[in-house]
Amino acid sequence: MCVAGIDIGSITSKAAILSDGKIIGTKVTFTGYNAALAGRKVYEDLLDELTIDETSIKKIVSTGYGRNSVDFVDKAVTEIICHGTGAHYLNPHIRSIIDVGGQDSKAMIVDQDGRVKDFVMNDKCAAGTGRFLEVMARALEVDLDSFGLQSLKAERPSKISSICTVFAESEVISLISKGEKRDNIIAGIHESVAARISALAKRVNVRSPIMMTGGVAKNIGVVKALERKLGMSIEVSEYAQSNGAIGAAVMAMKL
Amino acid sequence: MDVLTEFYEILNDPYAYGQTCRDEKKKKVIGYFCSYTPEEIISAAGAHPMRLFGTRGEIALADQHLQAYSCSLVRGALEEVLNGRLDFLDGTVFPHTCDSIQRLSDVWRLNTNFRFFADIVLPVKLDTDSAKEYMVDVLRKFKRDLKKGLNCRISDEDLNEAIATYNKIRDHLKVIYGLRSKNPGIITGGDVYSIVKVSMIMDRNDLVKKLPELIENLKTRNVSEDRRDRKRVALVGSICDQPDIYSIIEKSGGVVVWDDLCTGSRYFEGIIEIDGDPIVSIAKRYIERQICPAKHVSLTARGDHLVAMANEHDIQGFIFLLLKFCEPHAFDYPYMKEYLEKENIPSMLLEIEDQLPAEGQLLTRFETFMHMF
Repeated sequence: MCVAGIDIGSITSKAAILSDGKIIGTKVTFTGYNAALAGRKVYEDLLDELTIDETSIKKIVSTGYGRNSVDFVDKAVTEIICHGTGAHYLNPHIRSIIDVGGQDSKAMIVDQDGRVKDFVMNDKCAAGTGRFLEVMARALEVDLDSFGLQSLKAERPSKISSICTVFAESEVISLISKGEKRDNIIAGIHESVAARISALAKRVNVRSPIMMTGGVAKNIGVVKALERKLGMSIEVSEYAQSNGAIGAAVMAMKL
Repeated sequence: MDVLTEFYEILNDPYAYGQTCRDEKKKKVIGYFCSYTPEEIISAAGAHPMRLFGTRGEIALADQHLQAYSCSLVRGALEEVLNGRLDFLDGTVFPHTCDSIQRLSDVWRLNTNFRFFADIVLPVKLDTDSAKEYMVDVLRKFKRDLKKGLNCRISDEDLNEAIATYNKIRDHLKVIYGLRSKNPGIITGGDVYSIVKVSMIMDRNDLVKKLPELIENLKTRNVSEDRRDRKRVALVGSICDQPDIYSIIEKSGGVVVWDDLCTGSRYFEGIIEIDGDPIVSIAKRYIERQICPAKHVSLTARGDHLVAMANEHDIQGFIFLLLKFCEPHAFDYPYMKEYLEKENIPSMLLEIEDQLPAEGQLLTRFETFMHMF
């Protein structure tokens, strides 16, 4: 039996298809300004890639901020619940999940069945989200995909005191003009992001084993800095960015 | 006119209503912000106590007088008065609860010109004998201030009459809450919020006659929707002047069945004994009623109260509404959360300002919360 999950986020949309409980494919595309279209497209593109017909999909669950904009799904479930479910599916020992996406971040505690027991969300402030990294990568003229790797080369991370993304960008520019080493600045940026995420995570008392999900989990620099700040190791799956969609698909199996 | 419709008309323009109290009923209108205001004494003076809330408009003048980290009640109220929208008031009263209200009192006094102004310097610790004596002294002083400032008499008969009226009003509000808790289908959260809000604005002598009529009507209502399968939640916080929050919670599969809010149950909790010195009786209610975090009774008073509430009203989860920059509530929150966790009672935190966050953000949080139990 095939089921699908669609996670329509503010920056990217993800789809995941499970067949008899196993992941057979995932896909990530940009959402753009039309959430409904993006949800449909990422789903259809994945079906095409896997050469599966839509009629083979028995149930679909949507999640993410755009979850209610698509009308071809069976149920819409919040991304917090889906990330909890997805992480639990990928590793049932996980008890805490830190999800950092394009514009928001969240932390949640789950029990042995993957049920959310506590959660905290930040969707007011870009600091500590993918947006912060994007803005900084642009300011430093570094490719976002290699940003994290570069941060690991630093001798000593620069201190960036501004909490606000906009002010931090100005601070970075002045560090550059003072002749501060690029790698140190990049490391400082990663420390900043990790500090914000760590403060959020501590509000729900995250405990091991922790999994990090969302696009920012692909950034090794953030993961390592966050591990240092929390004093705990963090698991990152190859499916980190699609975790919400996977969780939605798992919820679809239960329908 | 149907009682609720009449209430909504008043809420639609409370300032116009205040003006009517002045013009037609010839009553002096005294503005206040906090449920620790001894309204009974104001009513006994023949004046009309009217609660003030923030503003729905833009903040343009208040920022010249206040730092950035004032809550939206303080900032909004100052904005309204500086803009001249509160000119219908004869005066204002500031009970000392949180720091921000106390400092607003100074700013208000220096920048407005009302004929009557009073600070009521309440004790902070309410559990000692000396605090109880002090509370009585403070209320006696307030009575003197009112008599002098409004040039009126306040006899013990006046006080007892006012106490009787407020006892009735508080009892009626408690009955309405009880009816809703037993059967959430009979009235929406938004309507209950409106009834409590109008109770702080309307002439109390008129209100006390309208509420029984409303209760009779509620008792005969056919339940349009069976809400008993919804998750039963309670709101905790300071002021909640956001009726939309009730419908958004309902959209998420929940229903608010009780609360611990300054603009909710803390307003009507506690009956005043009519026995002996009325000032002493009034003081007793303000000493003994459920505290807000700006006061102290014991380390566990608030936590105990929430647990008792959960047991009495089958509450499955608490939603803490934290008004941004409200320090007393913010300082208490980690302890409240821990206390509830120990009792295995789920809770969540929502930070709010005068404007609610976007509905989508609220739905994500509430839907997730309802899923937790």
